[in-house]
Amino acid sequence: MADLIKVTINGNVYETEKGARLIDVCREHGHAVPSFCYYSDLALQASCRMCLVRIEKMPKLQTSCTITCTDGMIVTTESEEIEKAQRAMVEFLLANHPLDCPVCDRGGECELQEMVFDWGGLEERFSERKNYAPEKFLSPMVANDPQRCILCKRCTRVCDEWMGEDAIEAGGRGAHTVIGTYDGWLNCSECGNCIEVCPTGTLLDATYRHQARPWELAQTITTCTFCSDGCQLSLGARVGEVMRAVARDRYVDGINGEFLCIKGRFAHPFINHEERIRTPLIRYKQGGRLVPATWDDAIGYTAARMRAIGEAHGADAFGIIGSPRLTNEANYALLKFAREVIGTENFTASDAFSLAPCFENLSAPLATHRDIRFAKTIILVGGEPEELQPLTGKQIRQAVRNGGARLVIFNSVPIRLKEQAAQFIHINPGTEDAVVLALAGANDDELAAGKLGVEAKTLADVRRALDETQGDCVLLFGSELSAAAMATLAQLPQLLGAREGRRFLLHPLPFYNNSVGAHDIGLMNAKLSVAQLLDQAGQGLRALYIAGSLLPEHLRGREETLRQLDLIVVQELFETETTALADVVFPAASFAETDGTFTNNAGQVQRVRQSIPPVHQARPDWMITAALASALNADFGFQLSASAVFREIAEHIAAYEGLRYPLLKDESRPVQAKHALAGARDMTGAIQEIRARIQSMNVTSARPTETPKVGHELFKPGTLTSKTPQFPLLYAGNPKPPTVLVSPLYQITVDANLRATTVAAGD
Amino acid sequence: MSQQFLPDNPLPQEAKVPEEIARFSPAVEAEIDGHLAKYPPERRRSAMLPLMFIVQRERGWLDKPGVAYIANRLGVRITDVWETATFYSMIYTKPAGKYHVQICKTLSCKIMGAGNITEHCAQRLGIKPGETSADGKFTLSEVECLGSCGTAPMLQVGFDFHENLTTEKVDEILDACARGDYKFAVKVR
Amino acid sequence: MFIGAIGCEPLQLRRVHLEHSRSLDVYRRNGGYEALKQVLDGMTPDAVINEVKKSALRGRGGAGFPTGMKWSFVPKDSPKARYVVCNADESEPGTFKDRYLMERDPHMLIEGMLIAAYALGARVNYIYTRGEYRYLINIMDEALDEARKANLLGEKILGTNFSCEIYTHTGAGAYICGEETALLSSLEGMRGHPRMKPPFPAVSGLYACPTVVNNVETLTAVPDIIKMGGEAYQKLGTEKSGGTKLWSVSGHVKRPGVYELPMGYDDMEKFIMEDCQGIAGGRQLKAVIPGGSSVYIMPASDILGKDVRMDYEGLVVAGSMVGSGGFMVMDGTVDVFETTKNLTEFYKHESCGWCTPCREGTDWLVKVFKRIADGEGRPEDAQLLLDICDNIEGKSFCPLGDAASWPIQSAIKKFPEDFKRHLLPLVAGAKEDAALSMV
Ligand SMILES: Cc1cc2nc3c(=O)[nH]c(=O)nc-3n(C[C@H](O)[C@H](O)[C@H](O)COP(=O)(O)O)c2cc1C
Ligand code: SF4
Ligand code: FES
Repeated sequence: MADLIKVTINGNVYETEKGARLIDVCREHGHAVPSFCYYSDLALQASCRMCLVRIEKMPKLQTSCTITCTDGMIVTTESEEIEKAQRAMVEFLLANHPLDCPVCDRGGECELQEMVFDWGGLEERFSERKNYAPEKFLSPMVANDPQRCILCKRCTRVCDEWMGEDAIEAGGRGAHTVIGTYDGWLNCSECGNCIEVCPTGTLLDATYRHQARPWELAQTITTCTFCSDGCQLSLGARVGEVMRAVARDRYVDGINGEFLCIKGRFAHPFINHEERIRTPLIRYKQGGRLVPATWDDAIGYTAARMRAIGEAHGADAFGIIGSPRLTNEANYALLKFAREVIGTENFTASDAFSLAPCFENLSAPLATHRDIRFAKTIILVGGEPEELQPLTGKQIRQAVRNGGARLVIFNSVPIRLKEQAAQFIHINPGTEDAVVLALAGANDDELAAGKLGVEAKTLADVRRALDETQGDCVLLFGSELSAAAMATLAQLPQLLGAREGRRFLLHPLPFYNNSVGAHDIGLMNAKLSVAQLLDQAGQGLRALYIAGSLLPEHLRGREETLRQLDLIVVQELFETETTALADVVFPAASFAETDGTFTNNAGQVQRVRQSIPPVHQARPDWMITAALASALNADFGFQLSASAVFREIAEHIAAYEGLRYPLLKDESRPVQAKHALAGARDMTGAIQEIRARIQSMNVTSARPTETPKVGHELFKPGTLTSKTPQFPLLYAGNPKPPTVLVSPLYQITVDANLRATTVAAGD
Repeated sequence: MSQQFLPDNPLPQEAKVPEEIARFSPAVEAEIDGHLAKYPPERRRSAMLPLMFIVQRERGWLDKPGVAYIANRLGVRITDVWETATFYSMIYTKPAGKYHVQICKTLSCKIMGAGNITEHCAQRLGIKPGETSADGKFTLSEVECLGSCGTAPMLQVGFDFHENLTTEKVDEILDACARGDYKFAVKVR
Repeated sequence: MFIGAIGCEPLQLRRVHLEHSRSLDVYRRNGGYEALKQVLDGMTPDAVINEVKKSALRGRGGAGFPTGMKWSFVPKDSPKARYVVCNADESEPGTFKDRYLMERDPHMLIEGMLIAAYALGARVNYIYTRGEYRYLINIMDEALDEARKANLLGEKILGTNFSCEIYTHTGAGAYICGEETALLSSLEGMRGHPRMKPPFPAVSGLYACPTVVNNVETLTAVPDIIKMGGEAYQKLGTEKSGGTKLWSVSGHVKRPGVYELPMGYDDMEKFIMEDCQGIAGGRQLKAVIPGGSSVYIMPASDILGKDVRMDYEGLVVAGSMVGSGGFMVMDGTVDVFETTKNLTEFYKHESCGWCTPCREGTDWLVKVFKRIADGEGRPEDAQLLLDICDNIEGKSFCPLGDAASWPIQSAIKKFPEDFKRHLLPLVAGAKEDAALSMV
């Protein structure tokens, strides 16, 4: 328990923790203190001078954002003097600020506007000419109207402190200070967080600019559909069209605050994209075309074909493949379909790797993103969170920069996070397993160090750091680990033993928004990988029912055998390489058109909410499955309610026991599934397996020496992200165009060549 | 999707031209090493301003290759160089004339007749303060107090102080510059 | 231009007129590096700090903070490196004393820094000089090289266990970098923005290490303090501020220059009229800005016959401040509206842009001044100017904001007629007439 001290604010005495920041304490107790530059967990700036208060025994007004409370402090936040000062600051900020809110894109949700209403004066005394600067694009994603800038520098701080990019900075001096970049073009990960935190209309979403006014938008809080971090975002829709995505308000302290990455913020145009599959499609004969059909026809046709195959070849002629991109509800419906309608255990999900070995041996809780931010030691084995799980990447960086955490990275690639690492251990490609071996004990140091291409002492240092940790120690791992290594890592907390003051937490880095959910639902528990399932094609497997698409690595080389199958049914948003093989294609609803839940890499079960009605004739995946079941005479009893599906999930899946939609409704308080913790397991077998694997390993010491370019994964145009026309442009290197001025308007045409670089999946 | 930013011309084949980085003679490199040696190795950024002056001396101004060089040498980002460079009035982020004539305009010089000197220079050079002559020879600036208040009015050519000015004295200086035989007394070294 | 002492023996300016005064040889032959020897010969760091405390030396950079006290704030037990940084940014309008100290007697600064470094346990030290003073950086570099060769710098100085380095560093045209924390930002290769205090540089300064920032004149006083003893030095001045002070005199006096006066020199009128030989051209004294642009302007009526004492307390009583000792004298031809406009332009140009009131306020002030100068003045403008100043003063991040408002506040108060002249014609609807009368 921290020391408590007494602070008097406007005559009221409050108890607060020693070291608390005055502005926070004031606000906590309902004494409004205005601010622009203060932003919790970012470096203090104290430049806007809005938060002035009077503190007894101190000369001058003080900025409450910089004051640490001391015992007996007597504070006034409201007085004539303070009000005058605050009015003066607003007046100063407005001096060179255009007063044309009706044409400003931020109008209606501008903090300066609000501040003027709440704290400003009515009279305008500034009658001189305002300083002028032209409006321009900083990148395909960021538009900039420098005149509106109040220089709170939240943008430059998030760019530096969250993203580690320093891509946007303040240049110039005095009244000529501008936010910008060298050469006026922004080459960064284009996360757009600078846009999000900008309180005025200075930095604007260039893909949304002047398309809608905030009050026209119906805002729906939902969970992002791109990576496994599961950021909360707010989709803004107008008459059935999603216009933009923004993060949640920073005062809603959800998992991501105001943070989003490029995909979360900008990759939503796929939702209303013209290439969405509009109706069910049926390919009546092999080699024929997919022909539009009614839902009744398509469901009827599929049911009949399934019935026939079942009668002729039995239940195990079916393979059912769910997806780590779908909601828990959709995957659950598929599982139920497999078991109850078909009667087969032939199911799996098309993920790139299975977390089953981790969860089976899990001996410490999953780390939430908040846990990561406040961790004391962070060990990252493989993976590249900044590109693949950007929120996790940001949390790691902040843990180091703002929390003084010790970060140890094992990677064969010098990833960007290395800048934050206390120890970056550059290992030989493919030797990640050896790291686990070394973490598990010193006996194998020689072997491990040899294969890793590092000194044995380095490994001992890392173990010592683990040993000495006071506080949380988070172990993060990527997809590089073998099953045995993943299992051993999950047991590491047991292997190293408990010690007072130290807590282990695990944080896997799967690729998809619902990888963990797909595992939890049981689709990935079946000891049957997608590859194994598909390999049965032609040997008993006659029909496939796939929700989503197969990953390229699963599909490639198998096209011919798959073509031989009697029936392939696919639920999809777009035509893909998988739908090209399908006999029946159902138009599925995207995450924006359905209700449900995703479970993120911290095991948090979060709500997905319908923002717009399904486009065209699309339907939520779970509804399609239920309709198919019903045509096969099985009533799932879900009615039309996703919440009914979830209730059933909660009944069947131990980790989700007791969860209900109403319990998940507050995104500021995410709920973690209760994954069972395994006690100490005998890991000698697994360790032996790793040892053998490493011993036989033929390693190359050819390690990449260049840090991969920002965006090398993020910008890769996938099925969904390529529908945002700017992605291919970024992937092509984000060249600076001949002119960046906003006006005269610079028009769009998407270069057809760029579309060709689209890769099938993997966003 | 009306005002998005997407170019209507096809992308160049090689979308990103590798940045050109300035190169200097071994002597200059050694000089730069000397500056870097003054600061703790992990605080190389401290050498930012000294390096900028050297790049300026060698290349006239902080051009792109020069900026890239500094970023490279100090292990900082291009933006870091930019943000720093644009803060300081002596760092040229645009080409400046060979003779940068800087007239102090602050109080003591002002009351001692700096205005006349500026007017005289402007007239002779045919440019206004803040401008560079078409031949790239002269840049004329009005600057803030340079510590010659007791010997006002004054101007600086490059780093050379010229004080207790009269129009005749100014003429002598500008004549020498125009003829090309003005010798800079003070150099960055 | 005059350089010399009045009313006391030259102390800081003792060597400036010697031939080759900047050479090590001349410096040594005239008492140079004796204080350093004395210190290394057995004074403890605490003893040095104590002498400086006894000397009642107050910082000459402008703020006048007691130097000994500042030194004693440096934590004794910090495991971090410590730094002494010499503030040779001298950019305060009207101030040019540091320039001549460095130009003519660079070794005095080196010796002062060495003693400070010894007292504070600093191994590496920097002299931050404004970029425009390039020639001084070159002079300092030469002197440092000389000192290095003579084992006055580097490892085991003069055969003792004391090792110390001093390097020059260049600014690049930014007045704000004279403010000590902005100076440190700049020395770290960043934009010259001031930093939050606390922590004060003495605790967390350069590279987040304990750092003492002192003005050139402050550091050059140190060798004499050691040699004559703190008490004797203090006695040269007053009880609260010891020693002598350099005044940079400019403007309409017959003999501008750098004047060394004992602290507490008793009469400003005498100083102007006799020591500086009076106002040029036989004109009337109109105003004096005694301590650099950042202090209140004084009308002649506050000086003549008023026995204004030239030290910290005396000038406050007289309605102004010592500041950096930039003594600007103006005769009757000067329009105080114009000079105030001039200074306001300076502050706008030099505002670093960090905080709202200073960045926007100085910009606005200049716009109002320009408008008035263009003949568009309104009677309420004086009040507007005052109110803008009031909104900047005490609310800005660093003292530059205050410094920008003081000249205006005092000018309007002390010279209302100079402002009225620019504001009133419009009221009378006599714009053309006013314009004519000004030609
Ligand atoms: C805006 C501003 C400009 C300053 N400029 C200078 C300067 O040019 N030279 C200087 O020595 N001190 C300057 N100072 C004072 C320094 O902040 C600091 O007080 C001084 O360097 C401390 O040294 P001292 O104690 O020896 O005076 C300035 C202060 C402010 C607020
Ligand atoms: S008062 Fe504010 S804007 Fe002005 S110089 Fe200081 S920090 Fe910069
Ligand atoms: S919030 Fe305190 S100064 Fe901006």
